[in-house]
Amino acid sequence: MNNQEVTTDMTQKPVKGRSLWSDGIRRLRKRKFAMVCLVIVLIYFALAGAIYIDEVLQDKFGEKGYEGISLFQWNESIGPSYQKPWLDYEWTPEDSEMSQEGWTFFGTDFLGRSTWRRTLYGAKTSLTVALCASIISLLIGVPLGAIAGYFRGWVDDVIVWFYTTLGTIPYILLLMAFAVVLKDATLFGHEIKGATSVYLAMGLTSWVGICRLIRGEIIKRKESEYVLAARALGCSNGRIIFKHLLPNVFHIIIINFSLRFVGFIHAEVILSFLGLGETDRPSWGGMIDAARTELARGVWWEMTAATVAIFFISLALNIFGDALRDCLDPKLRTD
Amino acid sequence: MTDNNHTLLSIRNLSTHFFTEQGLVKAVQDVSFDIPLGKTLAVVGESGCGKSVTALSVMRLIPWPPGKIVAGEIEFDGQLLLDASERRMREIRGNDIAMIFQEPMTSLNPVFTVGNQIVEAVKLHQKKSGSEAWTVAVEMMRKVGIADPERRVEEYPHQMSGGMRQRVMIAIALCCSPALLIADEPTTALDVTIQAQILELLRDLQRRHQMSIMMITHDLGVVAENADHIVVMYASRVVEKADSEELFAKPLHPYTQGLLRSLPRLGEKKERLDVIDGAVPNPLHFPSGCKFHPRCPIGKDDSRCQTEEPPLKEICPGRHAACWYAGENKDE
Amino acid sequence: MTAYIIRRLLYMIPIVFGVLLVTFCLFTLVGGDISVQIAGKNADAETIAEIRHEYGFDKPLFVGYEPLVDDQWKEPTDPNVLASYIESPDGDDTIILNDYQRIVAIENAKRQWLGGLFKQRLSDGRILDAWSMLDFNSQFLSHFKKAVTFNFGRDRERQKISEKLLQGVGPSLALTVPMFIGSLIISISLSLIVAFIRGSVGDFVIVVVCVILMSIPYLSYIIFGQLFFAYELDWFPIYYDPSRPMAVSVVLPILIGIIAGLGVGVRFYRTIMLDEIRSDYVRTAFAKGLTTPKVLFKHVLKNAMIPIVTNVVLSLPRLVLGSLLLERFFGIPGLGYLMIEAINSRDFFVLNAMTFMMALLIVIFTLVADICYGWVDPRVKFE
Repeated sequence: MNNQEVTTDMTQKPVKGRSLWSDGIRRLRKRKFAMVCLVIVLIYFALAGAIYIDEVLQDKFGEKGYEGISLFQWNESIGPSYQKPWLDYEWTPEDSEMSQEGWTFFGTDFLGRSTWRRTLYGAKTSLTVALCASIISLLIGVPLGAIAGYFRGWVDDVIVWFYTTLGTIPYILLLMAFAVVLKDATLFGHEIKGATSVYLAMGLTSWVGICRLIRGEIIKRKESEYVLAARALGCSNGRIIFKHLLPNVFHIIIINFSLRFVGFIHAEVILSFLGLGETDRPSWGGMIDAARTELARGVWWEMTAATVAIFFISLALNIFGDALRDCLDPKLRTD
Repeated sequence: MTDNNHTLLSIRNLSTHFFTEQGLVKAVQDVSFDIPLGKTLAVVGESGCGKSVTALSVMRLIPWPPGKIVAGEIEFDGQLLLDASERRMREIRGNDIAMIFQEPMTSLNPVFTVGNQIVEAVKLHQKKSGSEAWTVAVEMMRKVGIADPERRVEEYPHQMSGGMRQRVMIAIALCCSPALLIADEPTTALDVTIQAQILELLRDLQRRHQMSIMMITHDLGVVAENADHIVVMYASRVVEKADSEELFAKPLHPYTQGLLRSLPRLGEKKERLDVIDGAVPNPLHFPSGCKFHPRCPIGKDDSRCQTEEPPLKEICPGRHAACWYAGENKDE
Repeated sequence: MTAYIIRRLLYMIPIVFGVLLVTFCLFTLVGGDISVQIAGKNADAETIAEIRHEYGFDKPLFVGYEPLVDDQWKEPTDPNVLASYIESPDGDDTIILNDYQRIVAIENAKRQWLGGLFKQRLSDGRILDAWSMLDFNSQFLSHFKKAVTFNFGRDRERQKISEKLLQGVGPSLALTVPMFIGSLIISISLSLIVAFIRGSVGDFVIVVVCVILMSIPYLSYIIFGQLFFAYELDWFPIYYDPSRPMAVSVVLPILIGIIAGLGVGVRFYRTIMLDEIRSDYVRTAFAKGLTTPKVLFKHVLKNAMIPIVTNVVLSLPRLVLGSLLLERFFGIPGLGYLMIEAINSRDFFVLNAMTFMMALLIVIFTLVADICYGWVDPRVKFE
């Protein structure tokens, strides 16, 4: 009996699978270049994840002798300061008499720390901020948009009024204002530190776009047959919104998410550069800030490393996001 | 039919392909037909069968990329259009061959007044001054049956009804007295009463201007009283061509027969109209053999129809059909 | 039309009110009392209290009364003055409320402002009217007053904020207006060319270059541009020099800004152009026998003007704000520079004033954009 059920399930799957999603993903697979970009994005994410896990492990087992992966030891002095990339060097560490020989992949900063390791660590800072900001922004924007679009009436008026108000303030000003106010502020008894204020500021200010988009889509779809059918079956409003309507606009959320992720990464760089972001740990914006005064003295590698790191993830996300949009939503196609 | 003195437009072995991301779409394959001077030829077929692409190929307006005319000849009034320069083509377009489109709602530019859009064509092809061109525009609007044309030339397309807009389209098309008018589903988007008015108008204008019309439609009812010759297309190919009366009297191809059966007829009592089973095949994956065989009452089970594609052959004088059994199953 | 504009103007009121509410929540509720930071590390309690009063941090948040500052009243020598007075029914005919009594009355009124007990019956039967002695005021009220009167007070250095803002507008516009016009012209012409050659190798190359330009961080454009063209080649001044004309200093930042924004701009306008070029009326125009340039520049461009004009008008208020990073790097004393200064010193007063003024400009320009929309698109009717 059980066996039979499994087999019927399996035979049904391909029929059920020919949805918008599987169709879109099939189309996406055919685009080799977009897939390469996806791989690049995944490498960045894997790196950020590995650094995160390494940090957690160090926190837990640091006393028991776990020293972490040396590649992620961004704070360790590995050579003389401002060492050029790809050169052998000789130096004497502070607490030893013996001189050591070494080699750095991408040079060192003024404390003799490896630019390469700091750049890798920047991926964790940057992706954490962008991911948290996206999640906050979606958690606010999507339900608000869905509720406004579904119920209309005064609820809609209030939500529209609220996001119109926020949308009236220039984004850069709003973001900066939130970041400044939230930096080192105490909210509900918790002190907000470092990167937290950055993603809170970005998340709290950037939900207007997705909210407007979802509201429009829900208004378009709420009179469609499947919603009427669900209503006729006696589904509650909440069930209709979250089980019937939102899954149908999910691709819009994904497309929006992927394209906005780049914006968050760039915003994080600028905020960190202005000293509003992570200050205790390496971030790409912080590296650019530290490097810019040294550029004129010929210390080009720190600046270049951060730029290249930002460039590749942005490029990959831009291309992949465009491909995703083309494949998942033919109506939104630009060409 | 092949007599050049009476043939205005002659299409020979035209093939137009679209090179899309999903693959090669052979939108028009090996299409040939002639349009005699002053007559109406109707191209009939379901949507997606390549009839509009044929029309755009004649105008050489196939968007490249992805579309391209890959083979064939189009001869218009003694000139080979496919060899003509782009400059020469522009002189022909709108002046010698004019075209009206299916969607009167979107085919007019929304930000220019209708008068402006007629005047533009007049000025382009006839060396006329501004005020003369406007006189022509008003005159054309009157001719196509728009009341109070002096006032309405100043209106924008959105201020007019669908029927009025299609009249404006016809005015634009006819303002330079073209020898050939290509009407791509001119009445599809309109109400039935407006449809009749527009068709009547076209007939009337054709008589007055001695113009040939290539009428593209999926509606055999429209064709019956308007066309002199009929070309039936199915899945990018011509499957049957004949004089209008003969085709209605005795269709040879099973597809044409199906189309005719699906027409309502006066005096016939039927519970419901016949339909052709199945759907138009996807142009990316045409069936093997005769493309109609999956839907054909004969070809469904016939091994020859499933493997070999029938050529368009002359069954009897003036009548062509692309079916292995066209000559044989006379009682079908 | 007039009715439409009036209705839109009325609709602006809740939006402006909303902006005030947001800025209040942000800078006052979350930002909080920064008088300690203003006073500096070594300030004594008195100075801090003075600053608190000067910037209004001692007022109640939403509803309440203007508080009195220490030196406006003196502790009565006899702490039982009020109590004894109330207890003796046969006292003086006139009640002279001393400062201490005022404070007590105020405290009572504050506690009881909802209960309708603004008036107190004293023990001798006379009425003590707390209302008459108190100034109704709160931080929100003064926040509101500031915005309505455009008098934003003084910043942390005690300079007038409105003057500072006005001084910043000029340099900001000197930078952003040429930048905006330049990138608009380049983006629109490039996007028309792309629409002209759509689908070809050239189109593909331009799109790829756009994505690459979009992916380079803005900071890198500025830093490398400044290093290379100003420092290495010495073609332009590295930093704003007040003794030389503004035009000299803004050339390099303008060029950098145009190049950095080109990717986004061309892609944006390309999408608009391609949307238009696929329309049916374009086919009609070609069927008339028009040349491609004529179709593009007459038919397509006039239709594309509808989204373009809207976009341009909506961008105009943002020009006033200047460019944060460019102004910082090149030392151009515009509003962007001011903003960075305000951020670094956590000067919420300046940020508040900027936010409100910008929001007001944007609300007004949104209305202008809608009117322009009706002006370029004959289909729009104002109802």
